[in-house]
Amino acid sequence: MKKFFSNPAVREVLRIFIAIGSALLLGFIITLFISKDPIGAYKAFLTGPFTKFNRFGDWIEESITLTLVGLSVAIAFKANMFSMGTQGQLVLGALVSGVVALYVPLPATLRIPLALICAMAVGFIWGWIPGYLKAHLNANEIVSTLMLNTIAIKIYDYLLVFYIKPEDAGYNVSAIFPPEGTLPSFIPNVPFFNNIYTLFTKNTDITIMLYIVILAVIVAYYLVFKTPFGYKLRMIGSNIKFARYGGIDTKKTMILVFAISGVYGALAGAHMTMGIQHSIITNISISMAFEGIIVAILARNNPLYVPLTALAYGYLRAGANIMERSSDMSREMIAIIQALIILFVTAEQILPTVQKRIEERKEQNSNKEESSLPDGGSHEL
Amino acid sequence: MNFNLVLQGIFSALFIASVLRISTALVLPALGGLITDLAGSINISLEGTMLVSAFTGVIVSGFSHNVWLGVLGGILSGILFSALLAYFHLYLGTNIILAGTALNILASGGTVFLLFMLTGDKGSSSTLASGVVPTVNIPFIQDIPFLGTVLSGHNIFVYGAFLLTFLINKLLYNTKFGVHLRAVGEDPVAATSVGINARRTKFMAILISGFLASLGGLNLSMAYLSSFQRDMTAGRGFIALAAVYLGGRKPWGTVLAAILFGIADALSNQLGTLNIPSQLVQAIPYAITILALVVNGIRTRSQLIEQTKRFQERELSRANTEEQK
Repeated sequence: MKKFFSNPAVREVLRIFIAIGSALLLGFIITLFISKDPIGAYKAFLTGPFTKFNRFGDWIEESITLTLVGLSVAIAFKANMFSMGTQGQLVLGALVSGVVALYVPLPATLRIPLALICAMAVGFIWGWIPGYLKAHLNANEIVSTLMLNTIAIKIYDYLLVFYIKPEDAGYNVSAIFPPEGTLPSFIPNVPFFNNIYTLFTKNTDITIMLYIVILAVIVAYYLVFKTPFGYKLRMIGSNIKFARYGGIDTKKTMILVFAISGVYGALAGAHMTMGIQHSIITNISISMAFEGIIVAILARNNPLYVPLTALAYGYLRAGANIMERSSDMSREMIAIIQALIILFVTAEQILPTVQKRIEERKEQNSNKEESSLPDGGSHEL
Repeated sequence: MNFNLVLQGIFSALFIASVLRISTALVLPALGGLITDLAGSINISLEGTMLVSAFTGVIVSGFSHNVWLGVLGGILSGILFSALLAYFHLYLGTNIILAGTALNILASGGTVFLLFMLTGDKGSSSTLASGVVPTVNIPFIQDIPFLGTVLSGHNIFVYGAFLLTFLINKLLYNTKFGVHLRAVGEDPVAATSVGINARRTKFMAILISGFLASLGGLNLSMAYLSSFQRDMTAGRGFIALAAVYLGGRKPWGTVLAAILFGIADALSNQLGTLNIPSQLVQAIPYAITILALVVNGIRTRSQLIEQTKRFQERELSRANTEEQK
């Protein structure tokens, strides 16, 4: 039993479960104090996504976006590069894919791949910039990516308001994409699947992005763990000076890390416009990029675990939305739970500190017993 | 002719005064960012700290009907909030960027959550009659035509910001604590080896940044506006970090950079009347910051090359003289 707990993988999983569990518990305590019907509110929060079919669909759609932003963050963080640039890449990916989906007169079989490729290309470029600045000019990547995020958002708003928005539109929204520019359902519309197809398309927007995401996860995993590039990436992540002494071209690797992270961020944007919104809207991603950080941290920056943590995390978010609609609790309670999860998971010293305390107490107790024995058992408690 | 109107607007005393007012909410957190950056533990949660303080100030002053209690509560909440960051970072080993991100999320959601609980509204605290700090009219100066409009009649935070810039400059460069702080930021191991308590120094730096950010937040909700609005900081905490780098990591440089951001903000309001897209004007300071990073990078690199060259020449000449002997 002791051996089982000293296994690092087991401890890691245990730690994440403890973190999420205690965060949820604290959330429940808060609910107890505030809500008139705390049990009902929390039940809606925890079981919400399974109560209706369209809610299930919302959960999966959100998890797809979360997986992509999570991968974007995880790849950069794995190399110990604190890129906050996912938001900007997402926004530009959404913009470019949306423009292709709206204006390029091609059939769906060509237009959709073109839109995705263009989004990925722009993500690559927007990620390349902070990578270059970091590698060659030693520019702080947090500041540069935050700046690039805002610039991307301003470009997005400018083009949307002045060029993309139809003249007669009251809101800053583009026209609805034509069918050739929206991602098709993940179930093929063939006679055999007819019933399931109508069931899913009626209630959900789960698209072929589901398959692309699975592919993206596998590609990311191979890239990080099974290729020379991945070896260099992880080497930089664990010790950049050592990597440089070892003859690794750290600059080139660093730039590529940022650029590839950008590709994933842009894909998330493409999914949001072409898969979910079917138009270009303002404020497309207010906090998605920060959600990506949470997903990546929970997965310990391992691409293979990202979809799992994205599903778990997407579940909490979807549940919070449902709780708000069906009880007197506000959705923002989830923010408290989110913050606690990050803090608990990333606090390296919580478990060791607790362990040390326990060991100290044990030692004290055994010392007491030893010292009390020669006296002939005089207990002073 | 519209253009002339805008030009007149920009070069008027009122415009300069409005720049000062807008910039204050950037100057204060930027100073906080500077201190933590120099101490080597950059405070990403300035944004969240501002939000928490802006919220607490409004709530406390609204329920106690006392402006100064509100200000005090706001400052205390900001310091406590940053103490949380410092504790997790310095004592529990959380990466400061991740801890800061967590706290930003907590602040953004937590304030809306509490706002809804206390006022029943999710958007703003306008139903709550909260206080506004007084403005100061400087005697004599207020009667001078142009200067009076520019310098006099601001709220106390505007004057406080410039006073604090002066004090922070003194603290960083003319006190023992300031020297220790910068030493810890340069190299914590080396600083520890000469007997400086790196952890305590960093803790203090983060607390001071929390204090400064809290003033910035209070300036938004109790002076610039008179209520709390959901996510009212709107990225100012992050702009403040950029100002630190744009200002070359020096107090007065940081303040100037923060004012530059303020000018762009005020300018984009003015240009709204013209056909110049405000989005592009707003993007300018961010692009300038990237440029500043580039220039700074090139400068440091050329300095390094220069130093290496000098070192090599010195060594060569020394070797030559030794050979001659």
